[in-house]
Amino acid sequence: MEQLQLIKRAIEIRKGDEKAALASIIRTKGSTPRKAGGRMIIFDCGKIEGTIGGGCGEAAVIEKAIEVLQSNLPAQHRVDLTSGLLYEDGGIMDIFIEPL
Amino acid sequence: MMNESMYEKLTEALNERKDTFLLTITSHPEKQLIGAKALLWPDGDFYTEDPISLDLNKSLIEKCEKLMKKKRSGTIHLQWNEVSIECFAEYFPAPIHLIIAGAGHVCEPVAEMGRMLGFFVTVLDDREEFASRDRFPLADQVICRSYLHYFQTVKLSDKTYILLLTRGHKFDVLSLRELLKRNEKPAYIGMIGSRRRISGVFEELKQDFPDDCFDQLYTPVGLDIGAQTPSEIAVSIMAEILKVKNQKSGHSLSEKVKKYAKLGFQEGGQNGAAATHKTRN
Repeated sequence: MEQLQLIKRAIEIRKGDEKAALASIIRTKGSTPRKAGGRMIIFDCGKIEGTIGGGCGEAAVIEKAIEVLQSNLPAQHRVDLTSGLLYEDGGIMDIFIEPL
Repeated sequence: MMNESMYEKLTEALNERKDTFLLTITSHPEKQLIGAKALLWPDGDFYTEDPISLDLNKSLIEKCEKLMKKKRSGTIHLQWNEVSIECFAEYFPAPIHLIIAGAGHVCEPVAEMGRMLGFFVTVLDDREEFASRDRFPLADQVICRSYLHYFQTVKLSDKTYILLLTRGHKFDVLSLRELLKRNEKPAYIGMIGSRRRISGVFEELKQDFPDDCFDQLYTPVGLDIGAQTPSEIAVSIMAEILKVKNQKSGHSLSEKVKKYAKLGFQEGGQNGAAATHKTRN
């Protein structure tokens, strides 16, 4: 099942030496590239697996995930796509980021 | 993060075709509870390895009832002992159960595509040499049993999709009769066969089941794409199953756009605004 794939990967990664965080979309409003349950794994080197929709929203989440890895505490981050000129009909996504 | 044993519980439940919710506490004044996880099933069953108290447990289940009814993911908020808690409840729908009766040459690509689409695939045949693991390495189940016995007892629900592709038309029709007798209804029954033969079958069925409107019955099976080879037939069948599952028309997506183009659809043009708006709806 596609929905399970990144969770399965996260469990594998945790067994290894690499440090990584899991970002999950927990709420969306308006038009967003992905919906609740979308996931992405972020490694401490900045490498990613999966996607929460790409673009500058994703870049901000990667940055936030690096912070999560440093503090080792879960955090929430809001991606707001409504203000940029590039997005005609953007929405808002809330992301939950947890260290693996 | 979820640990391995919880992941196993989740996949196990889905393999048993049980809809499952994964709860993650995303906001809580006690830091060690942020990220705590639990599994919840629509029958009220609950599983967690994190220190979520029984009381909180109860409140969470209550709050999730609406989402469980609607069968969708969502975020819930609750005030519990004067602290405010947020929890993300993610819906993991149980996979569709695709039952293919008749393990002939069409069954092979159908079983393979079914797995590709994430379905739980059962291959059924009453001949041992056909219902063999070697022929269907990817199928979730390969069962050698009489069609009638199997269809008398197999669990049927809105997640069950059945294909009758047996070697003889009479086995298909007998299986179909058995299925129509059941009180539970599957979402889809596809039966292979020529149009001429099938109209005769329909006449008979109407006499025996006068109250049935045969809404779930799709025969001849598949979408009209001129399928000839087993793989092409499999595409045609799978497209129809997706169409039913997703409740869509099965038309080409381009059709609507072409219609608007004829009406003078132009980006930024005078008719453009209205036409763009229509295509979005």
